[in-house]
Amino acid sequence: MKIVSCFSRISEIEPLSAAGADELYCAVADFPSHGFGVLKGGSLRTAAARAHAMGKKLSLAVNSMRLTYSARHLKEFARRMEDAAADGVHSFIVASPSFFELFSALGRPLPGPVHLSSVQPCLNSLAARYFIRLGISRLILPSQLAPLEAVEIFRECRAARVETEVFDYRFFGCVYVNGRCNLHDPVFHTFREGAGQPALCRCAPGKGPAVKPVEISPGAASEALRLTRRLYARMTCSGPPRLNNAAAFFDFFAMGTNYLKYGTRADTPEVKVGKVRELRAMLDLAEGLSRDLPRSGARAAFIDRMTKWQGIEGGRP
Amino acid sequence: MIERGLKLGGLTPAEMRTDGSLSEALKKFERFYVGAEFCENLLPSAEALKRAAGFFLEKGKKVSVVTPPLTERGIKELGRVFKALRPLSCPELELTVNDFGALELARERGLGVKLSAGRLMYENLFQIRASVFQVVNSCALHFFTGRGINRFEVSAVGARQLTNFAKAAALGFSLSEFSLTLYYPYLNLSSTRTCLLGTPEIGPHDSVRGIDCRRECRIASFEVVYPDVKEKLLVSGNTVFMHFPGKLYPAEKSLAARRVDRLVYCPLP
Repeated sequence: MKIVSCFSRISEIEPLSAAGADELYCAVADFPSHGFGVLKGGSLRTAAARAHAMGKKLSLAVNSMRLTYSARHLKEFARRMEDAAADGVHSFIVASPSFFELFSALGRPLPGPVHLSSVQPCLNSLAARYFIRLGISRLILPSQLAPLEAVEIFRECRAARVETEVFDYRFFGCVYVNGRCNLHDPVFHTFREGAGQPALCRCAPGKGPAVKPVEISPGAASEALRLTRRLYARMTCSGPPRLNNAAAFFDFFAMGTNYLKYGTRADTPEVKVGKVRELRAMLDLAEGLSRDLPRSGARAAFIDRMTKWQGIEGGRP
Repeated sequence: MIERGLKLGGLTPAEMRTDGSLSEALKKFERFYVGAEFCENLLPSAEALKRAAGFFLEKGKKVSVVTPPLTERGIKELGRVFKALRPLSCPELELTVNDFGALELARERGLGVKLSAGRLMYENLFQIRASVFQVVNSCALHFFTGRGINRFEVSAVGARQLTNFAKAAALGFSLSEFSLTLYYPYLNLSSTRTCLLGTPEIGPHDSVRGIDCRRECRIASFEVVYPDVKEKLLVSGNTVFMHFPGKLYPAEKSLAARRVDRLVYCPLP
């Protein structure tokens, strides 16, 4: 398993590589991408040259679903992606089906290897097959899929020589389907004047919502009350259970997942480097335990050590 | 001509007969939506779906079978559903999908019914806001229409949305390529696999094989009121909705100009 790290400043490339990143990716202002944090401090060409100098491949996130272009601008968009490839971008992280349709309509090959973003959530092997037929070379799994649910997807990918990538389970925020959450921003709901505009999908202890059951099934009042408490707790402090935890990471590791991603582009340079070091330490632990112990023992030891681990500041797990 | 549909949720025709709503529904609606839209755990069995679809088709009604996002578990069940529905194939039967895996399965099995893209697919080709409804680009639309999908289903979110339909030619598409279905009165804001109601606790050593809930969503829906948010939210199963109590779609005369030719009433979120 190799580490893919985001970056948003040219100056981050070297320290991230030193911290253990095997591949790098970024977003730039003139290609629509999902999330925050576009490249600063130099051009895409400069970033590619710097990454190549460190022996790293560079991917470009073009994974917005909202490629709002006219017919003329679509052609220009295709040309700009081809230019980016010529400037040293190795691969493109995409989500919108229009990307595939565009190059097909133009009768031109895709501008480079294509990684299907988790913003286009692929939850089953037939969805994987659908996008493999369109030409993807890597599938980035959404964090809302557990490894044991992904076994058939991995089989499909392996058969087609398509790489697989997962997110680090500790650094991923939204509990709703990635890229499709209308609770992040006030798209349809509205805040009262003077109120902050927090993402309603995040845990928000303190000024939590009032929750009350409606349309209760006959005879189910006490169960509805219990669920009200559960819902309140999960919407405020505890959050819903995460499918991906230390156990899930070890299972993905053992299944032969090719890449592990850290992707919070808006983090500061120091935080980014710290997180990549943590990913490297976690991978080293999984590799070491797998070498030294039978699988079940390695899994148990990995979970135990990761559960106790306080982060890289306190040493290795 | 606007077609009027009713989304049944988990109700069966037998249950509708028992609660007295069936005869009125048959009078009022031309199309019935059966299946599950947001959660694979709620997808009725193949036999139950066949019975429901068959019942309404026999009554001279049209039927849309709605399918949710699917994991491997759901794909297997959907395979059984397709097999059961095959004998019912006819122009009055449609399939609404919310997952590319369902599209692939329909392609491989050659189901022989008209396919529509459901409410969880709209972001692939539309940008929808309270005041905006736009085709994002012609390639996004053609990706679907080129694969035989011409109907797109969305929630009604406002009567005065600005469209980019007048610029269709410059944008590279034609209005005759697609039709829209509007669901009302609930807008689905966000869906999760880790249902806030039903997902059991997951321990540090657990690597799960699916969401093994107890169908807690059938107990109740939940009204959620944030002190700083003007609207009430509604949690029903794995999805958070907003309820629009007023009439949110424009006059029927203007719906055609907005490519809307079907309205689907959802009595439950």
